[in-house]
Amino acid sequence: MISAASKKRLARALDFIALTAPAVIVILVFVELPFLMSVAYSFTKWNGLDKVPQFIGLANYRELFTDDPDMAHAFVFTIAFTVLMVVLTNVVAMLLAVVLAGGIKGRNALRAAFYVPNIISLIIIGYVWRFIFSKGFDSFLDFTHAGVFGLSWLGDGRLAFVSVLAVSVWQSIGFYLVIYIAGLQTVPRDVIEASLLDGAGSATRLWRITLPMIMPSVTVCVFYSLSNALKSFDVIFSLTSGGPGTATTSIALDIYKTAFGASRFGYGSAKSVLLFLLILTVTLFQVTAFKRREVEA
Amino acid sequence: MKKAIFALSLLLIVGALLAGQSGVTLKALFYSPELTDQYNDMAKAYKAATGNTLDITVLQDDYKTVLSARLNSGDIPDIFMSSAYADNAAYKDYDYDLTGQDFIKQLEPTALTGVTVDGEVTGYPFLVQSHSFIYNKKLFADAGITTLPRTIGEYEAACEKLQAKGIQPFATGFKEWWVFPQTAWQVLASIKDSYGGDYAKFVAQLDSGALKFKDIKQMSDVFDMLDLIKKYGGPKPLESDFNDQCASFAAGKVAMIHQGNWAEDSIKKSNPNIDIGYLLGPTGGSAAKAGIMFDSNQTIRIAKDGPNRAAAVAWLKWLTTSDYGKSWIPEKINQLSPIIGAKASSATLAKETVSLLAKGTPSYPWFYQRFPAGAEQGLGTILQGYSAGQTDRKQTLDQLDALYTKLASAAQ
Repeated sequence: MISAASKKRLARALDFIALTAPAVIVILVFVELPFLMSVAYSFTKWNGLDKVPQFIGLANYRELFTDDPDMAHAFVFTIAFTVLMVVLTNVVAMLLAVVLAGGIKGRNALRAAFYVPNIISLIIIGYVWRFIFSKGFDSFLDFTHAGVFGLSWLGDGRLAFVSVLAVSVWQSIGFYLVIYIAGLQTVPRDVIEASLLDGAGSATRLWRITLPMIMPSVTVCVFYSLSNALKSFDVIFSLTSGGPGTATTSIALDIYKTAFGASRFGYGSAKSVLLFLLILTVTLFQVTAFKRREVEA
Repeated sequence: MKKAIFALSLLLIVGALLAGQSGVTLKALFYSPELTDQYNDMAKAYKAATGNTLDITVLQDDYKTVLSARLNSGDIPDIFMSSAYADNAAYKDYDYDLTGQDFIKQLEPTALTGVTVDGEVTGYPFLVQSHSFIYNKKLFADAGITTLPRTIGEYEAACEKLQAKGIQPFATGFKEWWVFPQTAWQVLASIKDSYGGDYAKFVAQLDSGALKFKDIKQMSDVFDMLDLIKKYGGPKPLESDFNDQCASFAAGKVAMIHQGNWAEDSIKKSNPNIDIGYLLGPTGGSAAKAGIMFDSNQTIRIAKDGPNRAAAVAWLKWLTTSDYGKSWIPEKINQLSPIIGAKASSATLAKETVSLLAKGTPSYPWFYQRFPAGAEQGLGTILQGYSAGQTDRKQTLDQLDALYTKLASAAQ
């Protein structure tokens, strides 16, 4: 005879399974299975077309670590890009959120304006900016004669890095802005009022009260910006195709070029396994470190 | 009323079913979206002639990605396209051997070299194309250039004359990685003279590692040419893409672009009256060797495991032997056809190609297509890095050699 309590537990377990199963199955089939297949392909030499991939053990990984200057370059680019992306998007989004959560005029219109780039396809954004940087800047130059418009923003390796970074920050800021605004709205009024009574200035208040209180939002935003920057592909692909040369080739773009450009799917898979491990390690470390700093009111 | 709607929809469904059943539906995956209208026109004519439907999907940038995905997933198109040469090996598991087909005999033998492996015809060369420098005759006349340039020195002199008149000599196209192999390797075209006229021997030496780019003397000419185009290619040479080349050239802003006859359509669309022609590309340091690059690279392949293989082969036969098929390339696509005795095209660059060949002007095949898979993009990207000033000549040569070695071993 099953007791009422265990019956209830069983029913809850069944509910749980029934409700999560669809998502679990979809993720298993469309995310986990391809991932495992890609791990398997990383031990093969395969051009993406031959019916039988050739097993070559760890040769791909050996090449990856000892003999691939393109990958090394993409790695350095991605790290530099990621650090700047995480810092810039979060700092700018947080400052904007503080401004927009306050009572300034037309804040709803401004919120919408900052969010719009986030809902446009990244490929479209890339092409739009590609036009602005080339033809648009040419017209600005004719009009203003300002030297800054005469620079080759997409044709010079260093400037192309700046362009890619600027467009990526501009595009992604809206998303983080929304999270920070939501976070700011959860900061309890009474804590702020108490600090006002204690005579805290606005800077102290931001630093001592608001920031610790919105730490959960920071954790989420830094996590997303970190993993998105490490995987960055679309904007770079449509803006510079990784060029000139390999100046703006990220790891994800390098994987794409290896697999689809050079038809080396096995080697490309090995690179993607490495990228996965990189993202996993970095984000795990980040989340644990940030979680410790979260406080409750 | 309800009954009437029901009857009508039933009629529509039955009609649709019947329409679907008449004849075979062939699935084709093609690239070159600039030819979409011509593809559809051909499909319509084919439907009218045979009752078979040709369902064509046209892609560009992600063509290879989609094709690999479809071949791997078993959703095999009956007909697909690829390059010739190195791609023959890449698609060896998928393409149907056309050797015995009698319509193959109606194609120019030179067009078949690129698709023939050990005597086996692996694909159908459907377009003959050429590339070199295209120039604006009026701007050249304005600048007082009477003898057309044929060596790098003569090109430099022409550029100076153009610039003195306030005309920008080149639109580079250097934002596109694929412009680099076409521009750069044309300068190497005469290298076959050192290999008894046989590019296969030259490429075999590179493949085996016996020959390195850094040991090829003519590579300095390649760099000189790229430097020259960059120097005279306007204030932002690394930002010019294919569209910019065609637009600036058609608008009469620049005098020369390095492109192929496929650019003519875009140029003439924005400026129908422009007077254009081919310049001979410098190679081998002598004016007598300068020529154009001429080959049939775009290849139609029939899938071995496609559901309608026989019908697909019959379609190729129709394309080669029917009146419509014979006039499709010269009259609709307006390029050169590989079919023996096909009509001449009315396009300027196609006509110019034919007349240059008739005069015995040197023409070189697209030998760089023999490089291993991935070399076109990989080496092109390295040369782009050189033109962007990221690497010097020595570093560039080392990079070219390192990548070539890898791709050659990956292709084995």
